[in-house]
Formats: sequence, structure tokens, C-alpha cells
Amino acid sequence: MDPSSSAALVELVRRAQRGDEVAQRELILAYQHRVAGFVFAMTNRSDVVEDLCQQIFIKMIRAVDRLQAPAQFESWLFRLARNTCIDQLRRQRLRRIFLPFAEEHENIPEPPGAVDSEELDALRHALAQLRPQDRALLALVQEGRSHAEISEILGTSVAAVKARLHRAREQLREHYQP
Amino acid sequence: MNTNPEQDAWSRLRAHAAERLDVSFAERVLRSAHGCPPRAWHRLRDAAADCLRPGFADRVLAAARNRLEMPSYGSQLALSALTAAACLAAVILFHHHELAAADARNLAEWSQIVAAAQDLDAGAR
Repeated sequence: MDPSSSAALVELVRRAQRGDEVAQRELILAYQHRVAGFVFAMTNRSDVVEDLCQQIFIKMIRAVDRLQAPAQFESWLFRLARNTCIDQLRRQRLRRIFLPFAEEHENIPEPPGAVDSEELDALRHALAQLRPQDRALLALVQEGRSHAEISEILGTSVAAVKARLHRAREQLREHYQP
Repeated sequence: MNTNPEQDAWSRLRAHAAERLDVSFAERVLRSAHGCPPRAWHRLRDAAADCLRPGFADRVLAAARNRLEMPSYGSQLALSALTAAACLAAVILFHHHELAAADARNLAEWSQIVAAAQDLDAGAR
């Protein structure tokens, strides 16, 4: 089934809600790359992408039956992804308080070949200068989420999303040095 | 040929300054001015997708299945609380029983002492 059309997606989500493993698998396959991109943009670390993606999709499987509106599946999934990444970043910060050496170990540069593009490198550098909330905002826009959807995901108003997005774009432009 | 020394100095300064600029300076300025191109975001997503090993979906499903079979944190916590409460109740009950037995023993001993004292009093009279 092609989940790109909204009717097909709703049907797929309904099947996943009934515990259909084939449908759950199709949902994972359909969204794994987009969620991975979002996680990478949020954490800026390639070594945690798979672990976090796994956590996000396990949460999806366990909680999808509680999703009231299957049509809003994508917004719901990216809210899950955003909250999981924020939790991970918070845990990372806490770990740094108790384990002062952790930061040095966490900032090990990517192995050669992992980052093969000057533009990608510049984007990652620019994203690293932004607050996690702003990174989430920009990554959600890249995922094609509308301002209304983003406001719902972040639990804020559309006007606040527009203002924060403007600031985040300005900052990204400022730090983006290819 | 320019023989004006001042003009010559300015030319040298310009040439020296120009040498400091990278060959791709103009391109870099334009790229910075226009911001981050969508291509960079596509590369980011591609790089992230490469982080997922083949068979990712199957691994997630297997992990989710295992977690569903495992008792939840809530039920584990409830069981621990129940065990602790049962242990506490047993300790309190045992303590209460021991206290009552000790009281009974002491009372019996006191009764014997009182009886012995009364016997001694009666003998002395």
C-alpha cells in the first residue's frame, strides 16, 4: 500500500491500530528515512540515529492504538520523535554533570567518509549552534509540516511558530558557512 | 605605465588583499547570502538514512514484541510494593505476637513472686 495518499495512510494506520504487524512494518518502512533525518538534525550525531529511531518506532507501535485521528498520524509521529530527541538531549546534559569526561567522548569527530559533503558539514555545524527547539522547528519545516501542524506538535500558537521560525532561519543563515 | 607612487601603492594593496581571498570566495558569499540550500537538507537525510542498518523495520518489530511480553514497569513496581507491604505486615504481626507472649510470661512470673511473697508474709506472722 502506498501511504503517500491520505486515504491509504488512514487505512494503514487503522490496520496498525488493530495490531496488524504487516501494517506496522509498512509504516516503519515508509517513515524510517524521514524520522532518521529528523533525529540526525536534532542530535547532530550519527551514532545515536538508529537507537533513537528504534525507540521512536517502538513507542509508535505501543501507542498507535490510542491515536484518536489516524489522519494526523504524521504530526503525531514527529511529535513522538521530537519528544524522544529532547529527552535524549536532556539525559545527555545530565550525564555530563555527573560524568565530566563524557562530553569529550561524545564529541569524537565523525569517521572519515561519514561526512562527505562540504554542504552537509556546513549544515551540521550551523545546526549545532542552534537550540534543540529551533533545530526541531527547522527539521519539521523540512519535513513539509505546515505552520498549523508545527504549532500543534510544539504545543504553541501559529504566530509564535512563525516568529521562532524566522529567528531560527536567520540564525541558520548566519552560521551556515559552506 | 602608472608612475604615480600613491596609485602604485594602492594597486599593490589591492593585489595583496585579493590574494588573501579564497578562489571560491564569490561562490561562498552567494551561498551564505542565500542561506542553506535544500540540497544540504537532502544530504542530511541521506546521511541519516545510511545510519540505519538493513532490516531495521524487522528489528524494531522484534524489539517491540519482546517489550510487550515483558512485564511493564508499573506492574513490576506494584508487585514490589505488594511484597514490601506483606513483609512489613508479617514483621508487625510477629512483633505483636512476641510482645503479647512476653507480657503473659512476665505477668505469670510476677504472680509467682507475689504468691511467694504472700506465703513468706504469712509464715513470718
